[in-house]
Amino acid sequence: MTNIAVAGDRAAWRGRLGTEPVAARPSLDARRALQLVLAAVWLLDGVLQYQSFMFTKGFNQMLAGTAPGNPSVIATPITWDANLIDHHMVLTNAIFATIQLLLGLGIAFRPTLKVALAASVLWSLGVWWFGEGLGGVLNGGASPLNGAPGAVILYALLAVLLWPADRAAPAPFTAARAVGAHVARALWAILWLSLAYFTLTPDNRAPAAFSGMISGMDSGEPVWLQDLQKGAASLIGNSGLAASIVLAIALVLIAVGVYLPASIAKAALVLAIVVAAFIWVFAQAFGGILATGATDVNSGPLLALLALAYWPLRSAPAPSGPSAQTPAGEGATR
Amino acid sequence: MTPAWILDIFAAIMLAVAAISAARLVAARPWQHGGVVTDTDISHLLMGIAMAGMLAPSLTTLPNDAWVGVFAVLMIWFGYRVARDYQANGARALAVGHCAPHLVHSAAMVYMFAAITTSSTMAGMSGMGAMSGMGGMSSLHVPTLALLFAAILIGYTVWDLDQLSSLRSGLTAAVAAAAGPRLVPATPGAPVAGAGLDAAESGTGNATGDSPDEAATATGPQGAAGGGRLRTLLFLDAPGTVVGCRIAMGVTMALMLILMI
Repeated sequence: MTNIAVAGDRAAWRGRLGTEPVAARPSLDARRALQLVLAAVWLLDGVLQYQSFMFTKGFNQMLAGTAPGNPSVIATPITWDANLIDHHMVLTNAIFATIQLLLGLGIAFRPTLKVALAASVLWSLGVWWFGEGLGGVLNGGASPLNGAPGAVILYALLAVLLWPADRAAPAPFTAARAVGAHVARALWAILWLSLAYFTLTPDNRAPAAFSGMISGMDSGEPVWLQDLQKGAASLIGNSGLAASIVLAIALVLIAVGVYLPASIAKAALVLAIVVAAFIWVFAQAFGGILATGATDVNSGPLLALLALAYWPLRSAPAPSGPSAQTPAGEGATR
Repeated sequence: MTPAWILDIFAAIMLAVAAISAARLVAARPWQHGGVVTDTDISHLLMGIAMAGMLAPSLTTLPNDAWVGVFAVLMIWFGYRVARDYQANGARALAVGHCAPHLVHSAAMVYMFAAITTSSTMAGMSGMGAMSGMGGMSSLHVPTLALLFAAILIGYTVWDLDQLSSLRSGLTAAVAAAAGPRLVPATPGAPVAGAGLDAAESGTGNATGDSPDEAATATGPQGAAGGGRLRTLLFLDAPGTVVGCRIAMGVTMALMLILMI
C-alpha cells in the first residue's frame, strides 16, 4: 500500500510489498462483537431483499399470506400494505432492501450505531406486523421450527439488549448492560417459554407435524441439504407428539437456565445454541437462502446470537460464601 | 429479475472504485525511482472493471475466461502474501491483515466468472442476466459456496466499517494538518499525519520522504494549486477512501453472489 508523508514542502509516496506487521487495533468487547454480528445479519438481509423474487408478485403474495387467521385489526393493515406494494412493486422493494442494507452498515459504523439500532427496532416492529403477520403468534401458525415468534422481532430484541449504554452496577452478562439483569432475564424467559408453549399447541404436536414441517422446507434446496432434511424427517416420522414434548422440555430448561448459577446457566446457553442450530439447519434450511426467495436468515442464528448475549462474563475474583451461587454470573466483572 | 437500473447503480459504484484505484496508482508514480505499485490497488481496479461488466452487460470488458485467469493469478498472489503474513503475525493476520480479504475477493471473483461461464454456455446469456434471469432456478453447481463467500465478505465488510470508525480521530487530525499553513516536517521512519491513516489498509504507520520533486506545499505562489493537490492526495490515501472502496466492493460482490444462487 501507499503512504503519504507531508514534510515541509514535499509529499512523498511509497508503497510496500511483502510481509507487513499487523497494526494495533482497538479491542472489541463482547457487546461490540455481538453488534457486529447483528450488523452482518442485517446486511445479508438487505442483500437478500434485492433478489429477483422480491420484485415479483410472489413477494407480494407472501406478505398478503400472513394476514389470514389474524384479528381484523392486524390483518386489514397487512392487506392494505400488500396492495400498496403491489402497485409500486419495484420502488417499494428497492427501498426495503436499501433500508436493511443501511441498517447493517449503520450498526457496523460506530458513529451511527445508536441511530441505526433505534431505526432497526422501528423497522423490525413494522416488518413483524406488515411482513410476518406478528409471526403467526395470533393465528395459531407459530412454531419454533418455522421461526416463531417471528424472526424479525428478535432483531428488535437484540437491538434493545445490545444498546450501547451501561447501568451503574457491573453486568453479569452482556445483555444486562443496557437494561439490567432482571429485565434481561425476564425477556429471555418470556421468549423461550413462549417457544415452549408454541411447541405444544395442537397443530404442532400432531403426529406428523414436525416431520411435515421439516420435509416441507426441502424444495429447491441443494441435494446434500435435502438429504439431511429427509433424514431428520424420517427419523421423527409420526412421533410428532414425543418430539414436541422433548423440545418443549429443552426450551423450558433454557428459559429458566439464566436464573441458575453460572455453571448451569452456561450449560443452558449451550443447549440453546444447539437447539437453535438444529432448528436452523433441519427445520429452516438455513433460512431457505439456498433455495432463493428468502427474505432473511430466519430465527436460528438470532436465537444463537441471543444466547451469546447472556453468556456469563468473567467472574469476579474469589467471592467466598453464598455469593458464589448467584444466578448466571451475578456480581461478575468484565 | 432484479431491475436493471439497480444493477446499473452498483455497476456505477464499481466503476467509481476502479477510478479511485487508478488514481491511487497514478499518484504512486510507479515510473519514478522509489515509486511502487501496490497490489491491492491493482486488485481493486481490475475487480471494479470486471464487476461493472458483469452487472451491466452493455459494458464490454474481457471474456469471462480471461477474467478467470486474471483473478486466479491474483488469488495465488494474495494466497502467497497471506501465507507470509501468517508466518510473521500468526493467525491474527487472517483476521486483521489486509491480504486475507483480498484473497477472499479474488477467490470469489474466480468462482463467479467460472459459474457465469458455465451458466451462459448453457443458457446463451451473458453477465448477471445469465444468473439472475432464471426465475429462481438455481444454476450454480455449488450454490452453498456462493453463500459461504457472501457470508465471509459481509463479515469483512462490517469489520472494516468498525475499524474505519475507530480511526476517525486519526482522520480528523490529518484533515486539520492538511488545512494548516505549515505542515509538520517528516523524517525518515517517523510517523506523520497522513501515514497514520494508511494503517487501516496496510498495517503500517511510517513513511519516508524521498521524492523531492513532489512539491505539495500549502504556502507560496502556487499554494492554492499545491493545497488542492495535497487534499487530493490525502483523499486518495485516507482510510475512508481506501477501506470504503473495499467495503463497496464487498457489499456488491455479496449481492452478486446472492443473486447467482
